[in-house]
Amino acid sequence: MPNNQFENNVLAKVKDLKVHFNSKRGVVHAVDGVDFEILNGETLGLVGETGCGKSVTGRSFLRLLPIPPGIIKDGAVNFKANLVCTRCSGKGCSECGKSGHKTEKGEQVDLLKISDTRMREIRGDRIAMIFQDPGKALNPTLTVGAQMAEVFLQHRSLEILDMAGLGQIKNKAILRFANQDVKVFDKILLLLPKARKQKLKVQEAVKIMVSKALSETQVPNPLKLLDRFPHELSGGMRQRVMIAQALACNPDLLIADEPTTALDVTVEARILELIRELQLKRRTSVLYISHDLSLVRRICDRVAVMYAGRIVEIGKAEEIFANPSHPYTRGLMAAVPSNGIPRGSLSAIKGTVPELIDPPDSCRFSGRCPYEVNGCRVNDPKLRKITESHSVACFINDASLSWCAPSFEGERV
Amino acid sequence: MQLRDYIIRRLMVLPILILGVSIVVFTLTRVGGSPIGIYLSHEMTPEEVLKIEERFGLDKPVLVQYIQWLKGIVSGDFGWSGVASAPVAEVFPIKLAATLELATAAGLVALFLGITLGTFAGARRNRFPDHLTRIVAVSGASLPQFWFGILLLIIFWAQLGIAPIGRSDATIFASISHPTGLYTIDAILAGSIRALWDAIWHLILPALTLGYGATAIIARMMRSALVEELQQDYVDAARAKGLAEKLVIKRHARRNALVPTITVIGLTFGFLLQGTITIEIIYRWPGIGRWMADSVLRGDQATLMTYVLFTSVLFLLVNLIVDVIYANLDRRVTLGK
Amino acid sequence: MTNPPQSSNITITKDSAFSVKINRFLALLQRLLSNPTTVIGLIIIGLMLSMAIFAPWITTANIPDPYQMPRDWGAVRKPPGEMGYLLGTTNEGGDVFYGIVWGSRTSLQLSIYVVGSTMIIGTIIGSIAGLLGGWVDEVLMRIVDVFLSIPELIFALAIAAVLGPSFTNIIIALSLVIWVKYARIMRAQVLQIKQNDFVDAARIVGDSKFNIYIKDILPNAVTPVTVQATLDMGNVVLIGATLSFIGLSEAGIAEWGVLVSEGQAGIASGRWWASTFPGLMIFLWALAFNLLGDGLRDALDPRLEDR
Repeated sequence: MPNNQFENNVLAKVKDLKVHFNSKRGVVHAVDGVDFEILNGETLGLVGETGCGKSVTGRSFLRLLPIPPGIIKDGAVNFKANLVCTRCSGKGCSECGKSGHKTEKGEQVDLLKISDTRMREIRGDRIAMIFQDPGKALNPTLTVGAQMAEVFLQHRSLEILDMAGLGQIKNKAILRFANQDVKVFDKILLLLPKARKQKLKVQEAVKIMVSKALSETQVPNPLKLLDRFPHELSGGMRQRVMIAQALACNPDLLIADEPTTALDVTVEARILELIRELQLKRRTSVLYISHDLSLVRRICDRVAVMYAGRIVEIGKAEEIFANPSHPYTRGLMAAVPSNGIPRGSLSAIKGTVPELIDPPDSCRFSGRCPYEVNGCRVNDPKLRKITESHSVACFINDASLSWCAPSFEGERV
Repeated sequence: MQLRDYIIRRLMVLPILILGVSIVVFTLTRVGGSPIGIYLSHEMTPEEVLKIEERFGLDKPVLVQYIQWLKGIVSGDFGWSGVASAPVAEVFPIKLAATLELATAAGLVALFLGITLGTFAGARRNRFPDHLTRIVAVSGASLPQFWFGILLLIIFWAQLGIAPIGRSDATIFASISHPTGLYTIDAILAGSIRALWDAIWHLILPALTLGYGATAIIARMMRSALVEELQQDYVDAARAKGLAEKLVIKRHARRNALVPTITVIGLTFGFLLQGTITIEIIYRWPGIGRWMADSVLRGDQATLMTYVLFTSVLFLLVNLIVDVIYANLDRRVTLGK
Repeated sequence: MTNPPQSSNITITKDSAFSVKINRFLALLQRLLSNPTTVIGLIIIGLMLSMAIFAPWITTANIPDPYQMPRDWGAVRKPPGEMGYLLGTTNEGGDVFYGIVWGSRTSLQLSIYVVGSTMIIGTIIGSIAGLLGGWVDEVLMRIVDVFLSIPELIFALAIAAVLGPSFTNIIIALSLVIWVKYARIMRAQVLQIKQNDFVDAARIVGDSKFNIYIKDILPNAVTPVTVQATLDMGNVVLIGATLSFIGLSEAGIAEWGVLVSEGQAGIASGRWWASTFPGLMIFLWALAFNLLGDGLRDALDPRLEDR
């Protein structure tokens, strides 16, 4: 094993991730050298404008990238799943402190390199994802119950069989049914009376599990919801279904890709609360992707700011908001109305996000930066530590430079 | 609410359209010789002819003639078929059953092959199965069905001698009773494996010929629908749950892709309907298509007009049903967004 | 008048509406030709057209009527290659190759007459319906709907049957059936553009309705009409051949459908060539126009992600 095994409190470590996309106009460097860690039980916010690469970064954890136009050019996404506590099989007991996890971790893997089969074992089970628009992320032609059942059948089939009282069953057809691996002739085999009864028991067991998962997201009357179609539910309800689905197997990491963007503000608040609650209860880590800095402030422990395919600033939430050290971060904060800034001083960041095809060797924010100097146009800053937990990729106030560093006082209007 | 209104609107327009078609058909009868010629047969006596002439009023204004004709239709009098030497209404159901059997077999083939091929192609976009499906689709739309049928006959019947012509072997056919008129069903009801096999054996080549073009239509639609669906978020969401790719495609993408594909069922139906005419000629199938073709050549207007009327009404109904089903399913998709 | 600056590249210096149109056209041509299947279609069409145009030079025209199949009673039922007959002869000693070549002329005439007349009639009626609106629109569209309720082939069959078997009648029958498609397209275009803001702007400025029609509506409608017309060029020959096959054309003429029908008799005895080659031509003709039509549709449609 290479010597980048991580410490016990680190769940995932992204190293120099580069994801590029082939397009008619050239190769788009959507994610171009991203490094960060996700710690156990923390909520890490990933903030940036549209097109900065945050979604692609999030999806890399599950390898949900369209691979013909996309290539994973370089890098690793190392992940160490938590081992499930054997006493309570993940449900939470006194021995594991209710988290369902043992203290040691499982084996470390590089999510970009593991086999497809292994990836599918992790998807939905150890790492889960909720999407931006729950209306589009739920299958319109399947009932809520059917869709949620899929997660349980895929990963917790043994539990289901136990619950159905079929723990010792040898019938291959039923086993395959519980595992969603139905073969063509199984359809006929499952019509036999004995098999039919067993199938029903399995379905009943699944229903119970699904309703329990739904009730944890504070859905009133979960049993009734099972037979509804997504279009019959409100936006907030749909997102709860998504969340319930994602947390079904108690994953170690939840990737939330702008989960409240498509929701009303009032609903958004409740969903955020819900995510926070559930996260605390189960000690799940959350990678919260958003373009909304103020929102991220409310629920994230640490924040990473992304721009043009790179992380430009990362640190604890308090640090970032108290001392934003990258001009882009400052720009983002100034563009958001909040209590601190008096009315009338909103400012937009001038210019637009650069074309990510063949990015230049300069700082990618140059051309839009109010503080830039000549050196910024020919050098590309790397992440450097300001404090133990706060890093920034900028030359401002960098004492180690051989040339004259820019500073925040030299603002050009 | 909107769905109900939509259905009601369509249902209200339907009789107007049918009436319109009847006017067109009646006009055609006026153009082609004696308008009451369809009721006459060679066996009638001069008195009977006179009675009919009176009834349908050759001397009365056109409108009255039209209404008389319409009255006749509504009461089941579709005229006399010179080709069949019997009232049209008597012979129609029997021949219709034969055509229905053929069209259904072809339709099932087209549905199965079309959906499978389309899914296959859509999931493997721009690779070999996709190109193959494209070729099938384009050739299916350009193929003269009668020529295709003749080609297949040349190969399988004339050269190889392994395919039959016609619907059945006369002796086997006569050995069972025919309550429904559908050879396959009747064979099953009679419990005769020999007859069932005879029926299927004769169905194969005509159904494949007829179904080829229909397969193309469905495969093409299915492919583009699937490609659309595979770009949706819920497909990635399904993958994110750890489901196998095959399951994602079958249970998620394909299921949704079937919704827009339904819209081509009306088109496919029309295609099958029209295709039966030449297919029945070539394979000597005793259905309404061949009867109609004979009528065309022998001036049997009664059959011709009944056929036009019948197929149009059927076509309208099928399209209506398909549109309503689609509107219903589409709700789930559009309301969800 | 001073000479405008000379330049070899119109796109850079001149900016007139005309040059913009030329450039758009060239871009379209480029998109069309970049699609291999479209190119195949164009090649086939080119070959067919040449065959049709140069028919009297490729084969000696039959007298008195070149469209009648020649009869050589001494060379009846010959297979391909025998006695100098490239593709064999029919039951009556007709040269199959002759039938193919002159049949292309027949097909060309059929498709041009039908598509040409239906395009004009349909466009006019559709425009009237769209522009005038009101009860005129209702009545015309009901008629269109009724016509569309009858399946194409069956309708054409009935009309041709009632008129009597002849080549001209097939042209008439097909025209009566197909014009509705163009009416619909045109009406939709008119309605769509009527809603557009720039039409309102033109009206404010004082352009007459007719002007608006010519300048704004027609150019936009060209696209779907052209695609439909291209597809119909193929489709018409297909349906026409089917009608001939059933027997609604004249016997013994050089027309592909008729040839296939007449060639059927020999199949049982193994004489496959009389039906196969003419049928192949119908297929190729329809295929070529379908490929071209699809290619046109894709090239004219801005959002071609798929392919």
